[in-house]
Amino acid sequence: MAENPKAVSERPIIGLEKELQEIAQTIERYDDGVPAHIAIVAEPLGGRTTIANEIQRLYGERVHYFPLKLGMSPSSFPDFSDCPGDIILLDNCRLLATRRIGGFDVLDAFLLALISSKKLLITTWNLYSWQYLSAVMNIEAYFPTIVVLKKMDTPDLKQLIMSRHKPGEIKFINDGVAERSFFFSLVHKQVRLPLKGAEVSLPWIKLNFTLMFHRLPRKKRIQISIEDLIFEKINRISRGNPGISLILWESSLKDNTISLNAITETTYSMNLDISESFILTIILSMKSLREEDLIEIVGSEMDIRRVLYRLVQEGLVGNDDGHYSIPAFALEPVAEYLKKTRRLW
Amino acid sequence: MTDPLLSNVTTSVSADSLLSNVTTDVLVDLPLKTIDANLILYVLFIIIFAYVLNRLLGFILTHISERMGRYRTTITMLIPLLKLLVYVVALYYVIIAIVEPSLTLLLAFSGLFGAAIGLGLKDLFADIIAGIIIIFEKPYQIGDKVSIGEKYGEVKNIGIRSTRLQTPADEQVSVPNGAIFTQQVSSGNAGDLAMMIVIDLYIHLDSDAEMAMKIITEALVTSKYVIISKKYTHTVLLEDFPFYMRVRAKGYVNDLRLEFEFKSEVTRRAWSEFRKAGIRPPSFVPPQGVVSHLLDEVAE
Repeated sequence: MAENPKAVSERPIIGLEKELQEIAQTIERYDDGVPAHIAIVAEPLGGRTTIANEIQRLYGERVHYFPLKLGMSPSSFPDFSDCPGDIILLDNCRLLATRRIGGFDVLDAFLLALISSKKLLITTWNLYSWQYLSAVMNIEAYFPTIVVLKKMDTPDLKQLIMSRHKPGEIKFINDGVAERSFFFSLVHKQVRLPLKGAEVSLPWIKLNFTLMFHRLPRKKRIQISIEDLIFEKINRISRGNPGISLILWESSLKDNTISLNAITETTYSMNLDISESFILTIILSMKSLREEDLIEIVGSEMDIRRVLYRLVQEGLVGNDDGHYSIPAFALEPVAEYLKKTRRLW
Repeated sequence: MTDPLLSNVTTSVSADSLLSNVTTDVLVDLPLKTIDANLILYVLFIIIFAYVLNRLLGFILTHISERMGRYRTTITMLIPLLKLLVYVVALYYVIIAIVEPSLTLLLAFSGLFGAAIGLGLKDLFADIIAGIIIIFEKPYQIGDKVSIGEKYGEVKNIGIRSTRLQTPADEQVSVPNGAIFTQQVSSGNAGDLAMMIVIDLYIHLDSDAEMAMKIITEALVTSKYVIISKKYTHTVLLEDFPFYMRVRAKGYVNDLRLEFEFKSEVTRRAWSEFRKAGIRPPSFVPPQGVVSHLLDEVAE
């Protein structure tokens, strides 16, 4: 069921206080006559929308919200001086450039408009798209204030999730695995044998070093609650991504009850060729694309249908009414794989 | 009275007879163990074991390195070092299996060894010494793309005596390690997985050079093979020649094994856009004298 927008807007901002403060300071400086455009950078589901909503709530009429779309042309770019408000909030700036020859023309036009703008531009960027454009076009030089939304720690995630429920509403169940999972857990690793090339499943003991050595002092280890263990597990699976944590929480919660066993982790075994990795990189950077968009990007360089078929089969890409995107739980494993293979720089 | 020192100097002793005397003396003094079938089998076992262990180490580490993504070359650079270690340990066990060496004997033995190298095995030992230098000084490593003399390819193995290269034509070429003393050696990536690639495109003098540079820049940075960062920079240069212009793009390929695919992809995509933008390749116009001469020949 969709949440009440008013209730959403009135919800306290958790874990992003520092970032909001930095943005507020830049806006104050702009009030003094110093324009300093802002780039808000976050990984997918990393909290960009939350912070954009909060900016609109805080600055009200002063903000003109402008969501960008794919397929804009340099000439169709609006004149910022004609827009109402003295702060322009440009959302989805990842769509300003596509990774193809001629795919940077809109971004060039935007940057020209940006440097001549008297209004303050607040832009939101996908982290991977931002990193690519930084390497290729040195885009960070255009933004005096760059706010990168960081991964959240377990206490912040816990606070974020619990803020959506009334006190005492959630029941945390100890299903008997808490004690074991504190020190170690038994996992099944897929190992490829060097001589046969076949994959076998081997039982493997996984030590929880984070909990053992970093989070809690030795004397307190025994005092850890099932609640904390559950949030630690959510944080480990989501790698500190607030959006993924919320989705995981929602999918694991049954009748306001949650247990460690109910939180399941999806594992992905990735062995992709260069074209598949390339398409996955593009989808990760652009959030969601149609087949036609991808064909326009890669041209005749590869058989896009075959690549998409493979990625969908592997569960790395989902097809939602013709729009291809990476499922929430695959986002972090995909990003890690692409970093390991140096497709993400 | 004759000076004894002078007499020693002036005494004519041939090098061969001197070596023969030294050899006899040392061998007589060496506390050699009884050489029987067991000893021979033992020595053979050590040699075969060292060889098999090295092959196994090479295979396992190469396999692991292939799965390590960006750390591939870090793993492969350990291989020659470990191989050398295995051979040194094996040699030690062989020596102590045959003799019980004291310091004096080892010195004498190394003297003999030196003479042997000087007389007949100098090339072999030069290769072995070069192999050790390659391992420690690292002019190239396993996984590098190198040119040694006229040979170019990926270093697949650095052995004690020779280095094996895989050429772009998929040939396995064995280059003696001693070549590093006599030939020019260049490594395209120096242990890194990424390697700078130079792509030259030649265009007609009438073509829009600025547009050509823009297109090739975008073809480079949007390639699926490229890697760009502060460390791996890219650049595009234009140079004017009498009959054409050269647009040169320099960028790093993500994995050096894909250098030709990278070059081909950027060239193909750039030319596809060049055509759309009306950028033409240079056309050869022979000098007037040559044309009339050819026409005369045809007429005759």
